[in-house]
Amino acid sequence: MSLLMTMTHAVSMATASTGDCVKNAVYNQGVATPVAQTCSDANYIDTGDTAWQLTAATFVGLMSLPGLAVLYAGLVPKRWAVNTMFMAFTGFSTVLVVWVMWGYKMGFGTPIGSGGAHTWTNTYAGNGGGFVGFIKDFFENFVGHPQSINAGHAQMGQATLYANGGAFVPLQMPSSALAYFQFVFAGITPLLFLGSVLGRIKPLAWIIFVPAWCTFVYTVNAMLVWGGGYWAHEGVLDYSGGYVIHLAAGVSGFVAAWVIGPRLARDRAKWVPHSLTMVSVGAGIVWLGWNGFNGGDPYFASSDAAAAIINTNAAAAAALLTWVVLDMVLSRQKKPTFLGGINGMICGLVGITPCAGYVSGSSALWIGIIDCTVVWFAWSYLMPITMKYVDDASGVAYTHGLAGLTGGLLVGVFVDPSMVIYHSVGGSPITFKGVLYGHNAKQLLIQFLAALTIIIYDAIGTFIILKIVGLITGGLRLPDEVLELGDIGIHDEEAYPADEGFTRVDSMGAFAQAGLTGAGAGTTTATISSTSPTSTTETAGDLR
Amino acid sequence: MMLVTAVIKPFKLDAVKEALEAAGAKGLTVTEAQGFGRQKGHTEVYRGAEYQVAFTPKIKVEVLVDEAAVSGVLDAISKAARTEKIGDGKIWVTPVDTVVRIRTGETGPDAI
Repeated sequence: MSLLMTMTHAVSMATASTGDCVKNAVYNQGVATPVAQTCSDANYIDTGDTAWQLTAATFVGLMSLPGLAVLYAGLVPKRWAVNTMFMAFTGFSTVLVVWVMWGYKMGFGTPIGSGGAHTWTNTYAGNGGGFVGFIKDFFENFVGHPQSINAGHAQMGQATLYANGGAFVPLQMPSSALAYFQFVFAGITPLLFLGSVLGRIKPLAWIIFVPAWCTFVYTVNAMLVWGGGYWAHEGVLDYSGGYVIHLAAGVSGFVAAWVIGPRLARDRAKWVPHSLTMVSVGAGIVWLGWNGFNGGDPYFASSDAAAAIINTNAAAAAALLTWVVLDMVLSRQKKPTFLGGINGMICGLVGITPCAGYVSGSSALWIGIIDCTVVWFAWSYLMPITMKYVDDASGVAYTHGLAGLTGGLLVGVFVDPSMVIYHSVGGSPITFKGVLYGHNAKQLLIQFLAALTIIIYDAIGTFIILKIVGLITGGLRLPDEVLELGDIGIHDEEAYPADEGFTRVDSMGAFAQAGLTGAGAGTTTATISSTSPTSTTETAGDLR
Repeated sequence: MMLVTAVIKPFKLDAVKEALEAAGAKGLTVTEAQGFGRQKGHTEVYRGAEYQVAFTPKIKVEVLVDEAAVSGVLDAISKAARTEKIGDGKIWVTPVDTVVRIRTGETGPDAI
């Protein structure tokens, strides 16, 4: 969450037991007890906050694995299901390794420059003002110092962040809880834009591209909007990643699909989902997983977390129904569709993501309806045009990119001053006001400029990284004859192997056919004649 | 009346269907099939266990036609299904004794 916060380093062990370290356990009652300094022993922990943060993080992780893995696997033809799941699991893994080794601190550590709090409405005093001052200020607050979080003391230390203007809010959980929570966000983003590049990209190119993208693009998004970077200082509001996650995924996926090139012509012409049941499982996990996505972002098990969760579900429900109704009234067939409803659900979840705990319940319903309607029309009338030029296989640019952008702009309209995001030290409530509540349009302008930054930076970053990866892997696309085969050609695996026709041919196969030997094993396996094709087939099937 | 049966590569089905319609076929029946010919099977690996998979997925297309139309239909199928790589499949023709259209009870060439 943005909120002008940024992470500081975990406090070193040397400050322990000074007597000033007061456990901040009354926070949930709405008033934070002032703390003279952050704590370095377990005294800082609020068990409720910590438990919720780890639970919320796990929920978000489940959205990726298995949520998106099976959702996308169901949406692709049968011969692409294994590759789709493979890409999801490997992408998630590469991000985690990057995250603990250097990524987390690049997104949420100390900015490479001063980390100052200059705003664009003043004279950039810290950097001499003017355009040069702005540029300097922007890039000094662009990304954090790369640094590992693997050291034992770093894992044990307190998670800390500070808000602009001295409104220091002490967190009551260990830094590992926050680092893992932020990891699952970093991890899901490439999995979202995986939907754009399905059915063509080389596995090795993917495995190199994803960690590079996380390092050079995602961490910058996170720092700029959440980690205390430039737009965070300007006051951009992105509750849970309408920009950092979804707009980023939409833009990057669209550019990646363009750079890598289209699927096979026959796959573009016919890309029939092979299992709507699987889509249902994945979509359900994604929806409920979103409770952690938006509910975990206050970093406290607080009333705002609860509001964010119920708003998230309200927007998802409203959007799902909106898409179904639009399908029934405006689509050519005039029929409700299940996959349409799922698309609507995703639009609502994405749209409410930047808004969740900033807006009231009725605004959440409206955001779901508006976001879904915007995407429905773009999906119906704009996507047929863009698909001619860029083969964004799953339409991620629409259901995530456009939906996230719309939600991010709607924050500036709907953010409600009665939603208390948290209390500063001393108890004063921290709130924001949107256009609807009498605020001028400045918030909306900041939202727009931050979105523009993400769009431009992510598009250029994705383009450059893919071009370099393509040089390393000798092209980004698999050869057409492999694409014809799909999973069997790429992985030697298929999602639903037939019952018949498999004969084991490695050395273990001969061993198994000869019957197990050794104590107690001899009677368990029938020895069969390898000259009889029928029984060979059956045995291979049984042993498989 | 003749039954033309073709075993083709699955992704060629749409092209074959269009070619058959253009050649005047009134309908066709499609079955998912598995088999092998000169294109032997392929290898699959599950958790380190390597398998020779004897059969390759194919599509079987069956068309009922008048004798006069057979050569045109054969031509249409082989042109549409050809990739010039191994495993393009086969076509064979068998004579058919009786055909009945269930809805009307028509028999013979009228039922095709």
